Parts: sequence; C-alpha cells; structure tokens
Amino acid sequence: MAGITTHILDSNRGRPVAGVRIDLSIKQGEGWTLVKSAATNQDGRTDAPLVRPEDAKLGEYELVFHVDEYLRSQAGAGDPAPFIDRPAVRFSVFDVKQHYHVPLLCTPGSCSTYRGS
Amino acid sequence: MDRLITDRRRVLAAGAAVVAAPALARAQSQQPGQQPGALTIAPTSQTGLSPRLTMHAIDTYHGLPGAGMTCDLSVLDGDRYRQLKTVVTAQNGRTDEPLLVDDALKAGRYELLLHVEDYFRARGAQLPTPNFLKTVPVRFVIADLGQRYHLPVLFSPWGYSYYRGS
Repeated sequence: MAGITTHILDSNRGRPVAGVRIDLSIKQGEGWTLVKSAATNQDGRTDAPLVRPEDAKLGEYELVFHVDEYLRSQAGAGDPAPFIDRPAVRFSVFDVKQHYHVPLLCTPGSCSTYRGS
Repeated sequence: MDRLITDRRRVLAAGAAVVAAPALARAQSQQPGQQPGALTIAPTSQTGLSPRLTMHAIDTYHGLPGAGMTCDLSVLDGDRYRQLKTVVTAQNGRTDEPLLVDDALKAGRYELLLHVEDYFRARGAQLPTPNFLKTVPVRFVIADLGQRYHLPVLFSPWGYSYYRGS
C-alpha cells in the first residue's frame, strides 16, 4: 500500500492519543498549502489514510500535530507549559509507489518521529 | 573487525573533509589535540550556569556528534516564525555560544530548523532524492525564564527525536 498514514502515541503512558487534530500540508513554491485536516480516533490513527494510495503525489509534506492541549493535561503539577506544544514534521515523498507511515511519539517533555511501516 | 575499523575511519575522514573550515577551526581551538569526529569529547556540565538555551546535535546514523550542521533559530511572532539567528554546530555537536542567554532568553514558542539533508549529503550518505528528511523543524516552548533549557536532538536520515535535557 502506498500513500501517507500517521499515528500519535503518548510514549509516557504507552497509550494512543485520541481526538487530536492533524493538519497535512504540501509545499507549493515557498509556502505550505493545507491538503486536509483529520482527527485521531481511539487508536491514535485517522479513520482513513491522510493520502490514499491512488492520490499519492511526489512532494514535500508537513504534518502539524495539535497535541498541546492533550500534553498540558498530562504535564506534571507546577509546569507552566509543557516543552512540546504543537510539533511539525516535514518529509518528502520521493516514490509514489511506497508507503509513508509517519508516527509521532510524544510526552510533555519530548517527541520523536521516524519513517515507520 | 578490520573492515569495521576501516569503515569507521572512512566515515571520520569524510566527516572531517566536509565540515566548513571556520567551524572546524573553532572546534579544534576548543578541543586541542583532538581528531575531528572523535567520540572522546567530554561531557559538558551546565550546573549552576545562568538561564540559557543550549543545544546538542547527535548524528545517530554515524554515531558521532552532529558537527558542522546549519541550524536556524526562530521565534513565533503572531502566526509566523521570525528568524533570530543562524548557527553552525561545532565539532562536539554543540554551539560555541548558547543559542540564547540571560536577557536574550524570552518566553515563547521557538523553532530550530536543522539542515539535515545538507548535513548527510556532505558526508556522502546514500540517500533518496529528495531525502525523506530535508529540513527538520524542532519546535518547543520556553516558559520559565528562571531555568536553563537544554535541547538535545538525535537525528538520522529517517527520523529524529528531541527532548528537554539538562
């Protein structure tokens, strides 16, 4: 399967993060154009792929994960604001026949991403 | 084992050859007598220092400090990131000076843009064109001006992580 999929995991609790908005944009010229917004389901994924296999296009993409509200609810007492608020991940689709799974693992103090499968 | 050592030397040599000359000179003056890319660079303790923002880039692909990488620091101003400065990491993967210190450290939402593709291409890594990661936006919040903020970034051509360090 080709296309773009994602997943948000709270790596502190080892649980998916549900109900978080994700914006997918594509680079056009010097700016970013929103392709679609979606919300994570109970499994931390989106119900449909962000980009379906038949819609895959070469280009530079950006995912913005609106985890700030969730992370504030998880931060320790006395933290005025978590270190991580709204991380963005930019990546290139260099072969439309390949699948790009781009997950976000986050806690109030850290985040990571990688090309998954 | 011999092959591993040879490969490692080649990586080190490739890394040394491509680091921008001024960054290399700075790094060598900081660490006299040390081979470029050597892993024996001592840890740095920042205990007791004044509030500041510092960074440390670690190349987890080669297992080396992320030396000679261009990074742009910006702060969110309205709905746009406004660039504050551009730095090049030294031989130990850190910057010669703190990114922000004392009065320059202000509360806000920041972005450190790492030029990861340029970094790996300069080291001869075999990458797709364009690479999966081109420039990496590391976004974080500075909220308490009474604290030090240390930002370690572990990166490879296929992923990265960052966290509030110490």
